[in-house]
Parts: sequence; C-alpha cells; structure tokens
Amino acid sequence: MKNIATTLLATIVTTACLLATAAHAQDLGISAPPQRAPIVITGATVHTVAGPIIRNGYVVFENGVIREVGAGRAPRTRGARVINATGKHVYPGLIGADTIMGLTEIGAVRATHDSSEAGDITPEVRAAVAVNPDSTIIPVTRANGILTCGVLPQGGAIPGRAAVIRMDGWTWEDLAISADAGLVVNWPNMRPITAWWMQQTPEEQLKRAKERLAKIDEMFDAAEAYADARSADSSLPTDVRFDAMLPAMHGDTPVFIRANELEQMQSAVSWAAHHNLKAVIVGGRDADKCTHLLLRHKIGVIITGTHRLPGRRDKAYDAPFTLPLRLETAGVMWCLASGDETAHERSLPYQAGLAVAYGLPEDAAIRAVTLSAAELLGVGDRIGSLENGKAATLIITDGNPLDIISQIEMAFIDGREIDLNSKQTALDKKYREKYRQLGILPSQQSSGSR
Amino acid sequence: MRALTATAAAALAFTTAALAQPVQPFNGPRPVEPGWHAITGVTAHTAPGQSVDNATVVFRNGLIISVQSEGKAPRGARVWDASGMHLYAGLIDPWITVDAGKLASDAPGRHWNPQVLGERSALNDGGLDDDAKEKLRKMGFVLAQVVPSDGLLRGTSAVITLAQDNIKSRPTPAIVRERAMHVASFARGPRGRTRGGGDDESLGYPGSRMGQIALVRQTLADEQWYDAATDAHAQHPDKHPRPDPNATLSTLHESLPLLWDVTDELDTIRAAKVAREFDREIVITGSGTEFRRLDALAALDVPFIVPVTRPETPRVEMIADRDSVSLRALMTWEQAPTNLRRMIDAGINVSLTTSKLRKGEKFMPGLRRAIEDGGLTEDAALAALTTAPAALLDVSNQFGTIEPGKSASFVLVDEASLFDEDAVLREVWIDGQRHVIDEKQAFDLAGEYDTAFSMGGVTGVLKIDKGPKITLELPPLEGADDDADDVNDAKDTEPKPQKFKARKPSQNKNRLNFMLDGKPFGAEGTLSFSAAREGDALIGTAMNTDGERFTWNATRTGDLTKDDDDAEDDDNESSDIPEAIAYPLGAFGLTDVPAQGTVVITNATIWTCDAQGIIENGWLITSGGTVQAIGSGAVPRVPAGARIIDATGKHVTPGLIDCHSHTGISSGVNEGTQSVTAEVRIFDVITPDDIDWYRELAGGLTTVNQLHGSANPIGGQNSVVKIRWGCEAPDDMRFDGAIGGIKFALGENVKQSNWNSPRTRYPQTRMGVETLMLDRFEAAQSYAAEQKDAHGPVPVRRDLELEAIAEILAGQRLIHCHSYRQDEILALCRLAEKFNFKIGTFQHVLEGYKIAEAIRDNAIGASSFSDWWAYKFEVIDAIPYNGAIMHDVGVVVSFNSDSDELARRMNTEAAKAVKYGGVSPEEALKFVTLNPAKQLKIDQWVGSLASGKHADFVIWSGSPLSTFSRCENTFIDGREYFSLVRDAELRSTAQTERSRIVQKILADKNNKKKPGKGDGPKRDIPHPVEAMSLTHGGHIHTMTELETQYLWMIENGIDPADVQCGDCGCGLSSFFSGSN
Repeated sequence: MKNIATTLLATIVTTACLLATAAHAQDLGISAPPQRAPIVITGATVHTVAGPIIRNGYVVFENGVIREVGAGRAPRTRGARVINATGKHVYPGLIGADTIMGLTEIGAVRATHDSSEAGDITPEVRAAVAVNPDSTIIPVTRANGILTCGVLPQGGAIPGRAAVIRMDGWTWEDLAISADAGLVVNWPNMRPITAWWMQQTPEEQLKRAKERLAKIDEMFDAAEAYADARSADSSLPTDVRFDAMLPAMHGDTPVFIRANELEQMQSAVSWAAHHNLKAVIVGGRDADKCTHLLLRHKIGVIITGTHRLPGRRDKAYDAPFTLPLRLETAGVMWCLASGDETAHERSLPYQAGLAVAYGLPEDAAIRAVTLSAAELLGVGDRIGSLENGKAATLIITDGNPLDIISQIEMAFIDGREIDLNSKQTALDKKYREKYRQLGILPSQQSSGSR
Repeated sequence: MRALTATAAAALAFTTAALAQPVQPFNGPRPVEPGWHAITGVTAHTAPGQSVDNATVVFRNGLIISVQSEGKAPRGARVWDASGMHLYAGLIDPWITVDAGKLASDAPGRHWNPQVLGERSALNDGGLDDDAKEKLRKMGFVLAQVVPSDGLLRGTSAVITLAQDNIKSRPTPAIVRERAMHVASFARGPRGRTRGGGDDESLGYPGSRMGQIALVRQTLADEQWYDAATDAHAQHPDKHPRPDPNATLSTLHESLPLLWDVTDELDTIRAAKVAREFDREIVITGSGTEFRRLDALAALDVPFIVPVTRPETPRVEMIADRDSVSLRALMTWEQAPTNLRRMIDAGINVSLTTSKLRKGEKFMPGLRRAIEDGGLTEDAALAALTTAPAALLDVSNQFGTIEPGKSASFVLVDEASLFDEDAVLREVWIDGQRHVIDEKQAFDLAGEYDTAFSMGGVTGVLKIDKGPKITLELPPLEGADDDADDVNDAKDTEPKPQKFKARKPSQNKNRLNFMLDGKPFGAEGTLSFSAAREGDALIGTAMNTDGERFTWNATRTGDLTKDDDDAEDDDNESSDIPEAIAYPLGAFGLTDVPAQGTVVITNATIWTCDAQGIIENGWLITSGGTVQAIGSGAVPRVPAGARIIDATGKHVTPGLIDCHSHTGISSGVNEGTQSVTAEVRIFDVITPDDIDWYRELAGGLTTVNQLHGSANPIGGQNSVVKIRWGCEAPDDMRFDGAIGGIKFALGENVKQSNWNSPRTRYPQTRMGVETLMLDRFEAAQSYAAEQKDAHGPVPVRRDLELEAIAEILAGQRLIHCHSYRQDEILALCRLAEKFNFKIGTFQHVLEGYKIAEAIRDNAIGASSFSDWWAYKFEVIDAIPYNGAIMHDVGVVVSFNSDSDELARRMNTEAAKAVKYGGVSPEEALKFVTLNPAKQLKIDQWVGSLASGKHADFVIWSGSPLSTFSRCENTFIDGREYFSLVRDAELRSTAQTERSRIVQKILADKNNKKKPGKGDGPKRDIPHPVEAMSLTHGGHIHTMTELETQYLWMIENGIDPADVQCGDCGCGLSSFFSGSN
C-alpha cells in the first residue's frame, strides 16, 4: 500500500481512521463501510477484460458501481478520492468459482465442516445460509485479489444449492451476491473403479451408478409433477426439496454438474439437454475429448484446477496445465477454479498463471478467473469485468496478479476499500517484533519487507 | 547320439542301491517284487539336448540301471512297450505352497512376531495332499519343493516326490529332503501383529514393505548373535547368561539358502540385497515380470524360480477402455511371453514353477506361449523343468536326467515333444512306480470309421478325435442343390456333407458312448449310442426315441483328416514383439541412459546460487558430469565436440532440490505400527518406476529427500536420491556420499489425534512424545556404550533400531523432524542440546517463525511449506511469512513439497518467499536449491553452480521465479534427463506403441472378451500389498472406510490422486499415480 499515492479529498479523515483501525485490529478485520464518495483511479493500466487493455487508463466508481472506464485523463469528479495508480494495474476482482468458502475452517476438525449434508439427495439445503463471514480463510484469500467466490455444497447425488458470495461483510446476507446460484448435481461415476481399495465389483458399481442416475431422474420428474400439481391445487403441502429444484429446472439458475470423465460428461450433457437445463460442467478433466458436444449444447466448463497430476500414467506431464488452452482453442466456454483445499484458494491466480506458462494467452487466463467465472456462475451481468454499470469490485496491483511475485496493493468490493490484513499479517508483525526485542532483527519499523 | 549304456554304472548300482528299509510293520505277507522293469522302444530324452533313439530303459527298485539304444530287457523284467513314444526325466516344481499349520503364539521359544515362523516345516501339517500331487503328476511332475504358505519368514521347505500316497510298497520314501531352504515371502499381506496384540491384524508390525525387510534383517542379525550367545553360555554358563530360547533363530542357524517369494522385479532386488548383507545364499521365486528390470536382476547372480504367467489381456474394445489402459500394462502383457527367454539369454539360472498363475491360467499353455511367441527353446524349457530345479534343490544326483544310478522318475509322452500342443502324457514314473495319467489314450480310438446303422439304413463316416470328440458325417442331401441356374457362386456349388456332432461323448477303455440328434435317422429327439472296440472295428448298439434298440458297426479306415475350417491360423505374434525394453517399461521410459557429454550453455541468465550471484549473458561449461567453468560474455574456449545450447532469453538455475518427498516409495511410506521404527529404511524400497519422477524432472527437480511418513515419533531412515530416470536399478538413484538421515515426528500425527484409533499407544500427548524420545536417546546411548565395551566371544545383540538412534547421537545421522508448534520444536532442541548433537532439519515447522533462534542454534535448517495452513488444528497459526522470518533470523530455510504434484513446481514455491515477506529473488531461489542441499549436507556437490560441482541444472524459458516460466531442459550429472524436444518424441513413441499393441489385441481372435463389461482400470493404480500403508497419519483405516472416503471424493469431483494428504506422509497419492 505504501507505493500508492492516495489523494484523499472529502473522505480523508474517515478513511485514514479506517486504515489505522484495520492495522491494529489484526485478524479481527473490520468490514468496510459502503462507498461514500466517488473514487477515481488514474494512470493505471486498466484490464477491463470485457474490452481491450487500456494503457494510462482510469476507472471511476460511485456508490459501489463503475461509472466510467477510459483512457488518458480521468474526468473531474466532484468530491472524489483520486488514486494515482501510475505504473500500476487495475483488474476486476478475481473469482474462485468452485469453493466451500465459509463452510469449512480446519480440515481435520469435523466440527468446522458445513459443506456436506446427510443424505444422497438434498437440493433443499443452501450454501448461502451457512457461510461464516468471520472465517479466517476469507481475509487471507481476498488479500490475493479473490473478491468473489462460488460456494458449492458437496456430498451425495444432489448436494444442495450454490451461493455466490462477496468476500467481505458483517453477515452472510451481506456476503451473498446470489443466495440461490444454482443446483449442484454430482454425476454418478460411470466407469467402474478397479483400485486396490475398491471392494465393490464392477457390476456392483455399475448397478450403483444406474441407481443413482435413476434417483436423479426420478427427482426431476417428480419435481415437474409436483410443480404442476401445486399450480393446479395451491393447498397441496409444500415439499422443500422440490421447491428448491424449480428455479434450476425452469432454467432460471444453472445446474452445476460435477463430471470429470468422458463418459460422465457425455451422459450428463445428454441428460441436461433432455431436461432442457442450463448446465455447467464442474471438473471437466476430460472436457477436451468432447468439445464438440459441449459446443453443440453451449455448455460451459469450470475446470477445477491446473495444480493436478495427470490422471493417468501415459498422459503428458503437462496435461492439466494445457487443458485450459485446449478448451480455449476449441472455443468452449470455460473458466478456471482452484479445485484445491479452501485454504489454498488464495493460490487460484497461480493456477491460471501455470496455464500461461504452457501456452494460454495471458488475457484468456485473466478472463478465466474473472469474467468467465462470473458468467458461468450466473453473475456475469454484475461482476467480472470493468464496465460501466458493473459492481466496483476490483484490485490494484503492481503486476500481473497471476504471477506470484506480484502484489495486490488495494482491493475494492462494491466500491468499498477492503482491508488486506489478516491474522497472518498480524502474526508476521507480532513475531518480527519478538526478534526486534531480542536484537536479532533491526529495530526499524520497515523490516517487514525488504 | 551315444547311448548311455553302463556296465560300470550298472554294476555300481547293483551293489549300492539296496532297497530302502521300511520301518513300518507290514499288515499280512510282505509284498515281494522282483523289481526289474524295462521301458522299450522309446525315444529317451536323457537330458536337455540329448536323446537316445529306440532306447531300452532298465531300472530296478526305483533306480535306473541302463539306458541303451535297442538294448535288451533283462530276464524277468516287466517290459513296457513304449514304441513311438518319448521319455523325459520327470519334471520338478520347486515352489508349491502348502498349509503348514499354525504355531501357538505362546509356545515356548516362539519369536515375538507372528509373521516370523522360521521353525515351522512345510511338512508340519501333512505336506501336500494327494489331489494336489495328482494335478502335478498329470502335468509330468515327479518332484516338488513344498513351502509353507503364509507368513513373512515362513519356515523350512521340503523336497518330496509326488508319488501317490496309497502305494503301499513304495521302494523309496516320499521325502527326499526334509529341510531344503528357509522360506521368506513378501506375498502375503505384510501385517503381523504387535507384540501381545490381539486379533486385530490391522495393528501389526510390519505394516509396510520396508518394515518387512527390516524385520527379516533384524531376524538374520539376531540369528548370528543368538548362535554366539548360545555357544558362549554352553561353555561358560557362569559368565554368559542363557539367551531366551528362540526356535526361529536356532532353525535359521542351519545354513540353508533363503528362498524368497517376491511380487515384482523390484522386490527381487530388495530381497537379494538383504541376503547379501548376511552372506546368505538366496533363491528368488519371481513374478514373471523379470524382463522389466532384466539387467539389474542378471547382475544379482541368483537363481530364480519363475511362473509362466501373463497379465490378463488389457481391455481395449471401448474408447474409454483404451484411454484408461497404460502403455506399461500393454507392454507387460505383450512382453510377458518373452520373459523366460530373456532371462535365460541374460545368463540367469531359471527353474519353472506351475504356481503363481492368475486365476484361469494354465501352466502348459503358458509355457508353450513362451516357446512359440517368446522364443524360448524347448531344450531350455526342459532344462528349467528338470536339470535346473534338480541342481537348485541339490538333488541332481537323483533327479533331472535319465542316467544310470538316478531315480527312475520319468514322463512318458506320445508325441515328439513334451511341449507340443497335442502331446498326451501317458504315464509318470516316480522312483520306479508307474502312475497312469491317461489310460483311455492307451485305447486310442481316434480315426475315421465307415459306419452303417441298422436304423433307416443310414451309412456315413464317423470321425473320432481325441477327447473324444465325435462327428457323424453323412453324404450331402440329394436334391438340396438342384438349382442349376445358381452358377454365380462357383465355390459353393460343390455340395457339402452333413455334419452331426455327437453330444456327451465319453470313453471308458474300449467302450464308447455318445448321443446324436435323431434327424438323420428320421426320428425326432435324441438317440443314444454305445460301442465296444474289437481291433479296428466298433461293434455298436443304439437306442431310438421309442426306447427300441438297433445296431451299428464301424470299421476304421484311417487317421483323421482335418477339416479346412478347423485349420489353425498360424499368424502368431512372435515375430513382432519388440526386443528393446525401456526403463521403466511404459510411456516415457528410456532405452538408453542419456549421454554425459560436454555441454556449453551460452547467453543465459545464470542463477548460480553461489558466489558469482546472478550472471547476465552468462555461459556454463559442463563435462564428465561436473561443472567446468562459468562466466559471462563470450565463451573463452569451446571444447571440441561440445553440444552448444544457445540460451538467449533463458535462465539457468541449479537443479531443484526437494527436502521432503514421498515419491517413488514402494508399498508403504509409513511403518506406523509402532512408535519407534528407526530400523526401517526408505532406501530399501526406492522405486525408479514411479511416473512422478519423470513429471518432477519436467519441473526442474533433480534431487529429492525421500522421507518416511510421520505416523510415529521415531520413523524410518531417509533416502536421498537423484532423479536418474531410466536407470537400471533402484540403487542407481541414490546420492553417493549423502549422509544418512531419519524421520522424527511431533504433534497430532504421532499422538494419533485426528483419527478414531484406540487411545492406547504411547504417546498420546506432546508430553509423551518428548519423554519417549528422551528415553530412546538414553537407550541408544547405553547401547552404544555396551557395543564399545563388548569384548570376548559374545557380541552385544545388534539392535538395528538403537543402532540408528545411536548414529544420531554420534553425529552420523541427521534427524528430519516433522513439527508444527513452537513448544514441541523447542523441546526437541533442548533434547539435542542435552545429548549434544545437531538436528538436521525441522520439517513443515509452521510455527518456526515463533522460535527461529532456537532452530538457528540447534538445527542445520528448517524445511517448510511455503503457504500451507488450515488443514489441522496445530497449524492454526501457520503463516506464509514463516520462511521469510526464519530466513531473516538466520535459519537456513528451504521450501519443500511433501507432494508428488507440488514437487513439479518448486521454483514458484520459492517465489512465495519473495511475495510473502520480501526475501530477495536470489535468496528465495536458494530455498529450493542451495539451502536444501545444505540441510542434507550435500552442498559440496549440488545446490549451486560452481566449478567442480555436479552438473545438475535446469534451463527455464524465463525467470525461474515467474509463474509464466516453464522448465525446458533438466540435466543431472551432465546428462539431459528431460527436454521438451525429447518429451515430444517420447509422447509420439508412446502413442505409436499404444496403437500398435491395441490393434494387436483387437486382431487377436483368441481374445473373446466382450466389450462393455468393463472392469478395465479406471486409474492406473498399482495393486499394493494388501492394505499396506493404510496408515494415514498413524490411523489405520479399514478398507471399507477408505473405500467410502475415496468414493465420496470421486463423486465430489475430488480425485484422490490430487489430494495433498496434508502432511502425514501416508503416501496415498503415490498409489494413485504410481507405477509398479
């Protein structure tokens, strides 16, 4: 932050207080208040994502919404805070498309897990209501520029409904951009597994897969009948499961179908087409093998990470690194999620960066963790790019955020300047102080970074 | 061919070969046999490559007297006319498992470990039952070595004849050698029980391959000490205490060879190594996949017992099947028939066994495949079934060839070759006892017969084949083909005879029974037929559908003429099995070790990680595996013949080093069954086959610290390797000169916090962890003192566990300690101070930043995750600034992977030290080069680029710290083990080979598998030994728990292979991506 010259106009006092408080609040970061004055970022390289990159550009946002993006001199804005970002870059906030952010805290501690409800078919549960706004993982993740997350429940054939959240707020309602972002379906495993740990025979497994498919089908058919019956007779008692499915069934929200293997995807796509659903594939390890099918049905893919091993011994060592490029080349709509533990969500940009090392154009990689992710999560009209009318959810960086050595210097969610500190930065400060006290580190305040 | 007559030998036999003296009283009159036999007119294959035509083989009382061409049978001998037949020495199977019964666990002298059953004999529970013997006899076997079927050290084998049990007047006893070898095996699940542990097998030691090896090693060491201690006590009971009696140890003292059953070719090398350590002779019962590591196995110079197995034909019918199958599986299938030939050509002493076949596999067809497709010669096959096993079992003076003085144990066959598909085994003789194998063949009815039936005046030809298979052929139906205009298909104009296949044909000596459809006889239903042979005629009766009898007669007209449509395709595959074998077999394997030439890199940005810093526009010269010179600007002198790489725009760094890895460890990363397992050694179980090695090379990794997991406070010894992909033997990967190390672990894993294990194992708290370590250090100190002071005849018992810990105290072994919290880190530092040694590294050490000064003072360094956190409670204060703070305090810091996946991009892990905490790029790169080298005490050779250091380096497309850069070439010892160019070639080769073998399988008519029933491997997962290493962080999963967990992951789009198992080192991911 020290390198960005901020010119504070009307709101100078408030902001200064806020920053000071934030610095001392350690991990108990204060949620940013609503944007009170317009903010103008000038002199920056503006990566709009929706359009071309603007050198020496500006971004104006007010009341949480982007008002203007352009090149050269920024328009004079009354009462605005001007941030001179010369030599800096502005990007839309990055988006983690497939996470359980806020539904988990510590992997080994079961009490902190809220991502998987009991039962095979639980469309009625919503991720949004269980997101812990005070999760320690949220501030750490947003410090790396990830300002929005898709939260997809896990477990069972239909685990529940997804949410899209912003990474700052006092309550889960503050966090929710979309509290019903779509229905999650885990496509049954179509191909028998013969691993050493597998005790079921291939026949048993195939039978199980068939039963699960039938179960999913039955749920959709029954929900259809239920909807008809309800419209004919509104006195019919409510079934929370069917009610939960209707938006997705009517195409108002997407159906996120987890599928990795070719057979799963083929089966899922034809099922989705049959039910006329707005399907999105999540996983897509073999998606490059059925691009024609995905194109034909205009189905997008949330690739769950490049930080994976090739699935098979014979696969090229870089197969996971080049999957994004292969989908991009084929013209399939895709975005990149981390597919990693929630704690590692902060490294999502580096997963996109890895795809760049293996041939993906930089702008495609940026789009994959911004606008494309927003589109596939159904919020592409609100976030994901720097365009007039979109939420002012953006970051200011000293370089490409997909490169590890770049730093995120400022972040805004809906125009609110976000605290980039966390418990982790607080511990850093605390223990550097220990070594200063011991005389091991020099006692200047500046030793935090060299 | 010279006939083996043998007056001298015969005379000798007469005088020395007295009848065996039975101890058992007879019931009734004693049977008296004159004892003389002569097989006449036979072609006697006296030894591999030798035969006597029209031989008379004379034997008496089970011993051969003479073998002579056109010899005369002695007077009074029973003469067995075997004209036209062939006689071979009886076959020998040196590996037949038998249930040898249980040993009571509380029996006096029992070894503490239930897997160690050394005192047991294969004959304990009756040996081999007669059904099993008969099965072997039917294949021509006369002798077998029987071995106990369960346990790690299983007891002793015995050599027995396969003579039928109920032959009363057996001239020689069935037991040839009562104790032949000490049997060991990796095959059964390695799990034993902990001492005093109940029936819960899952808790037993050893729980891993390295644990199995360690237990054998300790037992062999104990045997040496036990013998000395027993002797000393006998001589001076006043001075030397009586050792605890131990039946296994006293049995092992007998100097018999070890016979070690292995599951694959790498286990062979491991077993042989242990035997060598104790100067024990060893015989390997192999896997049939020896060809995959042939050079290394040949170098062992040990005899092998090998099965003729071949993996199931891979499923390739469906596209998805084809995607799933690995080239390694395809090649293993294709090459399996060549295994025996390759082994023999490599000079390996090979005996065959009928055991160790897959379900449904048969021995003789497998052996024929090895001959026809694999190129094995029949002589070599015969030797591997006779002379070789006879020598192996030390019974050459009795078995293996047909010579005077040897046992009259033969196989009589009615075709030219024992190995012929049509060969029929008639008789097996064992010690002069005749066993009829195929009696009905002695009444061979095969041929064509003109046949007339009294019913309906039907006449035709009856064709009788072996089996018997019977077909009735009648003339073509008249008028069926009277359409004269039908001239289009000239081939079909010739009318074909009508064929009727007989149902349920059976033969009993001279009698024949079968059924035929009534149609040719104008009847509806099935008719029954029977006949008796009289010379060339069959005199038959039959019964029609009404139960009325009629007659039929047949006269043999000649041998069977085979129908054209029965003719066999001779398009066998032998010709196109490639000869070259890549190491490791499968995709990306190398057929040659890359050359160690002179390389000159020019115009590069060179990160030396040494005094020269970062050199812009630099050059680097390497030759003979070391760095010769480094500089900037123009290269002063380019050595002749050098390969010049223009690296304009590129960056060169030292090869990356991962100080915490579990890649390439076979069958178990944890021996977590006991709190202290300092005796196990990761370098016993290195696997160069792991495909992740190649993937790591492709990320610029060159040196790896292979660590034991963290399931117990004191784990096993580490292994430092270079990724010499394509090497011949596992040990070729080891880093010469690297100091030994050992894994220690603190905190949640070792106190079994996160799993539902019974809370009984000590320690369950951090208090207990510290105490346990204190106690072991004390114990090791005493042990070392005793060893030093020991003089006289009795050595102090070698305790391999304490020996390793004593080496820590002596500064000869580095501790690499899994750790998180500052309290536990500090506690170990204080222990190190107390015992006055320096710790190697703290691993993970995520609260290292809280106690960095203690680490700086007591350890060589800290090897940390760059930014892992939130996976367990003890990492609640983990911060990515950890590395930077410790570095600033003066700790030598490295970042490690602990993950096969992360290990491929350690360069960008280093970049995180720049991002989180502002370490300079030059220093940050040292987190994955020089610093881990220092931590492993190998920095005099690797970790930086300077004249005289190993030529281990990487060429990157851009800055090594940039996410946007990729590794382009990786050199180790000046050899280019990876390059983008080479990788492209290997991909293309793999693709071509895959297609070729797949087409071969699809074209194979014998492969009648139905597509779609796919149980084809979804993932290319090796089948590890039962349940090994289900120890995830010290907890032992049941298979059902694991299955549930993995299925859940898969259904939620989480590939278990991707799961970074946190930090427990359970190595689960390596099972999914692994290789052997």
